[in-house]
Amino acid sequence: MNNVKIKSKNLNVYYGEKQALFNVNLDLNEKEVTALIGPSGCGKSTFIRCINRMNDVIDICKVSGNIEIDGVEINDKNLDVVSLRERVGMVFQKPNPFPKSIYDNISYGPKIHGKGETKSELDEIVENSLKKAALWEEVKDRLNEPGTGLSGGQQQRLCIARAISVNPEVILMDEPCSALDPIATAKIEELIDELKKTYTIVIVTHSMAQAVRVSQKTGFFHLGKLIEVGKTEKIFKNPDNKMTQDYITGRFG
Amino acid sequence: MNFVLIFLITIFSLSLFFYGRSKTKSIAIEKNIKLNALPKFYGYYLVLWCSIPSLVFLLIWSLFEPVIIKSIIIETAANQGAIFNDKNEANLIYEKIKAIHLGTYFGDIDSILRESALAYAKFINLFTNSKVVLIFAIVIVSVIYSLKKINKNNKARDDVEIILKGLLFVSSLIAILTTLGIIFSLLFESIKFFSVINIFDYLFGTNWSPQRAFVRDASSITAAEFEELKDAFGFIPLIAGTTFIAFIAMLVAVPIGLFSGIYMAEYASLKIRRISKPIIEILAGIPTVVYGFFAALTVGPFFRQIGENFGLTVSSESALAAGLIMGIMIIPYVSSLSDDVINSVPQSLRDGSYAIGATKSETIKKVVIPAALPGIIGSILLAVSRAIGETMIVVMAAGLAANLTINPLESTTTITTQIVMILVGDQEFDSPKTQSAFALGLTLFIATLILNYIAQRAVKKYREKYD
Repeated sequence: MNNVKIKSKNLNVYYGEKQALFNVNLDLNEKEVTALIGPSGCGKSTFIRCINRMNDVIDICKVSGNIEIDGVEINDKNLDVVSLRERVGMVFQKPNPFPKSIYDNISYGPKIHGKGETKSELDEIVENSLKKAALWEEVKDRLNEPGTGLSGGQQQRLCIARAISVNPEVILMDEPCSALDPIATAKIEELIDELKKTYTIVIVTHSMAQAVRVSQKTGFFHLGKLIEVGKTEKIFKNPDNKMTQDYITGRFG
Repeated sequence: MNFVLIFLITIFSLSLFFYGRSKTKSIAIEKNIKLNALPKFYGYYLVLWCSIPSLVFLLIWSLFEPVIIKSIIIETAANQGAIFNDKNEANLIYEKIKAIHLGTYFGDIDSILRESALAYAKFINLFTNSKVVLIFAIVIVSVIYSLKKINKNNKARDDVEIILKGLLFVSSLIAILTTLGIIFSLLFESIKFFSVINIFDYLFGTNWSPQRAFVRDASSITAAEFEELKDAFGFIPLIAGTTFIAFIAMLVAVPIGLFSGIYMAEYASLKIRRISKPIIEILAGIPTVVYGFFAALTVGPFFRQIGENFGLTVSSESALAAGLIMGIMIIPYVSSLSDDVINSVPQSLRDGSYAIGATKSETIKKVVIPAALPGIIGSILLAVSRAIGETMIVVMAAGLAANLTINPLESTTTITTQIVMILVGDQEFDSPKTQSAFALGLTLFIATLILNYIAQRAVKKYREKYD
C-alpha cells in the first residue's frame, strides 16, 4: 500500500442552494490510479475539481471541509492557487488544445511558471512531455502546426502532455476517453498505466471496464455521497454495498 | 379611389376565406370524401386567388396610367396647336393642364389649354372607370376559377405553399433589385462624371475644389475650362482626410472598446453586466447629429482653448475633435462585438489554461484573445467601415476645406462631408460638380464593401473554428 497523497475530510460542495457533495472522506494514494465511478451528476467531477480548486472558477460554487495534499490544507483562502495547479494537473472530458501550435500548447505551462528560460530548455521540456504522453513520434515533424488539427485521440494526448509539462505530482482526469474511439481509448489507458509510475492519478470514468483496467482503487459515488471505496478488485468482485453491486452490474445508472 | 378598391378587395378576400373553409367542409361531408388539405387551406387558396391578381393589376395600372395619360394629353395639345420645343416645355404645359383640371392654376388660360384640360378630365374619368371595371372582372374571373378548383378537391395545400413561396421570393427580389438599382444609378452618374474628368486625375489629384465647376453644363465645356476642371477634382485630400479621421477614431475606439469588451465578457459579474451593458449600448443609440454638435460646440472649442494655453493654433473645427467624438460613437460597436466574440470562446479553453496554473489575465492574454482574434479583427474592421461612412459628425466638426494635412489640430474634410456639401442647395444635375458626388459615393461604397467583405470573412472563419 502506497502512502496517502490526498486526503479529503468532511468535504461539502454547494452550487448555490443545491448541495453537490455530502461529507466526502476519501484518501487517494501516491503513484496509484484511483477511479471514481457513479451515475451522471453524482459528484465525481465536482470532487476532483476540488483537488485543484477549479471550482473557484464557478461563482456560485462554495466548498467547505478539508482537502490535504501531503498533509497541507489546500482548501484555504490564502493558498496560492497558481502553485497548487502547478502541482495538480488536469485533463478534461473533451480535448481542449489551445488554438496554437503543438509546440506552444506544451510550452504554455512552463512559460507561465518561469520554467525553461532558454529555447533549448523549452525544447527539451516539450520533447519530454510529448514523449511521456506517447505522442512524440507522431508529431515531432510538425510541432509548428496547430494543435487543433490533430485527431481526437492525439488531441487528448496533447492535453495530457500539456498537463505533464509543468511536472505536476497529481494528474486529475475527468472522463478523458469519453469523446474518443476504442483505439484512442486503449492508447490513453496504456499511457495512464505508464504515467502512474511517476504521478498520482485520479480518473473519473463512466466505463466500468476502464476502471477495472486502469485503477488500483475505486470509489463509487451516488447522489453526492461516497457510497463505497476500496481496492478495485474488491469493489468489482465483492462490493460491501448493495447499491455498488447494482451499479456495477448495470442494474441502474 | 385606389384605397377604396384595395379596401373592397381585402374585405372580399377575407370573407372568401370563411366561405371557402365552410364550403369544403360541407363538400367533404356531402360527398363523403377525404379532403386533400385542411379546410383552412381552401380558405387561404381563395383569399390568395382573389387578392393577388387584382392587386398586382392595380399596381401595374397605377404605375402606367399617368405615363399614358401624359403622352396622350401632350399629343392632343400639340394637335390643337400648342407649341413646345423640347421635353421640358412639354412637361410644363402638361403640368399647367393638370393644374387647370384641379383648379389650382392662376395664370392666363387660353383656348388650347382649356380644351386640353377638358380632354384631360375626360381621360382621367375614362381610365378610372375602366380600371374599376377591369379589376372587378379580374376578381370575378379569378374567384370563379378558384371556386371551381376547390370544388374539385384540388391539392390546395400544395398550391398555397407554392404561392407563399412565390411571395417570399418576390420580396427578396425587390430588396435585391433596389440594391442593384442604387448601385447602377451611382455607376451611371459616375460614368458621366468620368467622361468629363479623367479617372486618373480624380484618383491621384491632390486638389479638391469642385466649386470651380459651378454651374457649368458638362456637354458644352470649352478647352480652357476643361484645363481648369482637370485639377479641381483630386480625390487624394478627401481620402486622406477620411482615413485620418477614421484613424483617430480607431485610436480612441479600439482600446477602450476592446478593453471594455474584455471586462464585460471576463470580469464583470452578472449584476454589473446587466446594468452596464445597456448603458454602453445607449451610446450606440445617440443620434449622430447629437454627437456632431457635441463635437462642434463643446469638444472643438475645448481643444482650441487648451491649444491656446499651450501656445498652439487649433482650428475650431479640427480633425482631432471629429475623430475623438467619432471614436466615442464607435466604442459600443467594438465593445459589444468583441464581447460577443470573447464570450463564444469555449469555456473549456479557459479551464485548460486555469488548470495548468495560469492566472486570469494570463489566460485572457495568451489563450482567450488569440482564440478570439479573427473575430475581434472583424469587429474592428466593421467599426472602421462605419467610421468611414459616418457623415454627420464630420460635417459638423471636421471642417470643409480639403486640406492635405496630417496635423490633427487643423481642419480637414472627408468624402461624406464633401458629398453633403455638393448636394445641399440648388443643383445643376448635369454639372460635373454634382456628378462628382456620385463618383465619391461610388468610391466610398466600394471601400466599405471591401472592408465589410474582409470583416465578414474573418468573423465567419472564426465561427467555423468552434462550431
